[in-house]
Amino acid sequence: MVFSVAYHFLRDRDTAEEIAQDVFLSLHRNLGGIQSAAHAGFWLRKVAVQRSIDASRKRMRRPQVALEDVAEPVARGVPSDPMLGETLRRLIATLPETPRMVMILRYQEDLDPSDIANLMAIPVGTVKSHLQRSLALLREKLVRRGVREE
Amino acid sequence: MKTARRSALTVVRTWALACAIAAALCAQQLKLNLEHLAAKASDSVDISLNNSMLQFAGKFLDGKDPDEAAVKKLIAGIDGIYIRNFEFKQEGVWSQADLDQVRNQMKAPDWSRIVGIKSAEDGENTEVHVCNQAGKVTGVVILVSGPKAFTVANIVGNVSLDSLADLGGHFGLPKLEQKKKK
Amino acid sequence: MDWLEDELQQALRRQEPSPDFEARVTSTVSRQVNAAMRPVLLMPRWLATAAAVLAIAGAGAGYRYHQGHVAKEQVMLAMRLAGSRLNRIQMQMKAVRP
Repeated sequence: MVFSVAYHFLRDRDTAEEIAQDVFLSLHRNLGGIQSAAHAGFWLRKVAVQRSIDASRKRMRRPQVALEDVAEPVARGVPSDPMLGETLRRLIATLPETPRMVMILRYQEDLDPSDIANLMAIPVGTVKSHLQRSLALLREKLVRRGVREE
Repeated sequence: MKTARRSALTVVRTWALACAIAAALCAQQLKLNLEHLAAKASDSVDISLNNSMLQFAGKFLDGKDPDEAAVKKLIAGIDGIYIRNFEFKQEGVWSQADLDQVRNQMKAPDWSRIVGIKSAEDGENTEVHVCNQAGKVTGVVILVSGPKAFTVANIVGNVSLDSLADLGGHFGLPKLEQKKKK
Repeated sequence: MDWLEDELQQALRRQEPSPDFEARVTSTVSRQVNAAMRPVLLMPRWLATAAAVLAIAGAGAGYRYHQGHVAKEQVMLAMRLAGSRLNRIQMQMKAVRP
């Protein structure tokens, strides 16, 4: 779970493994403060989110590009799952940090907007707005690529 | 001198009697010395959970799971759960003395037997005893004795019989509607 | 959930780290735990390593979690036994007094 959050957020396997190792080390140091299984799960997610965002800011390998500015490919996308999955992952990776993490927590971890808001310490309205806007933009991009009919 | 000695003895006896009564009244938790049955059982369950273990376990119960949510609510007011369940391959393993050992601990006035059922079908005897203090149930004992089985379930604390009955609606058991008192 | 959300769930399904990840992390944690040990040990070395291994295995709170899980299973079993007995009693009483 920890590795996967970092990997989908950063799209970099090595960095994601470093982050996961760091998170588990932190967990070991903080074992005494863990109250329950649910608390442990919440704690792991929260730290994974924080470390992933920190790593992204430090790295700054690729400048943040608004989803609207992602160039359209010349060729039309093949409407089959393997291509679509990779396309979606690349599109998600171009989102700004906060909506990117919101999307990962929603669709990888299947968390409700209220749980995401609690985890990321942002208002639930902001979470819903990020979800709505990101989905709308993704749809638009995919329609333009011919992956899906409107 | 004799009068003083007699007074002192009276005080001691009265105090001992008061302690005994208090102990009997407060003894919602039974002493279950049934290890000899465990040694002869083909299958046995031995559960002893005091208040701190119950509260600790409660933290790990998932409020979103209906069964676990129901149990979490029930154990909130419970001080202890003690269960001894034995199944035997042959008949005649447990004795009347084992039954009496349990029943004798519920002779105090606060205890009353509210259910007594004898099943002709399987020869099983079932009793439910309840300890009532100041209008509140503070202890429940379910005692089941059959030809090849012996079970004592002792629940200590603020036990809601309605909630216990409600358990029948969980764990895949059919729910029975309770008749409301007129 | 619509088609896009289904596709997103597929595209973002959990990925596993490399096969030797667990071994590397366990080794790192053990090294760190041993390096942090003082002459007056606060806990036995084997317990520290076991706790580290449990943490890496994603068991959450390690030993404490394990204890809590065991206690929870006992509570559930106790309630099942008591509940099933009580339910049977109710059935029998209902049969006698419908």
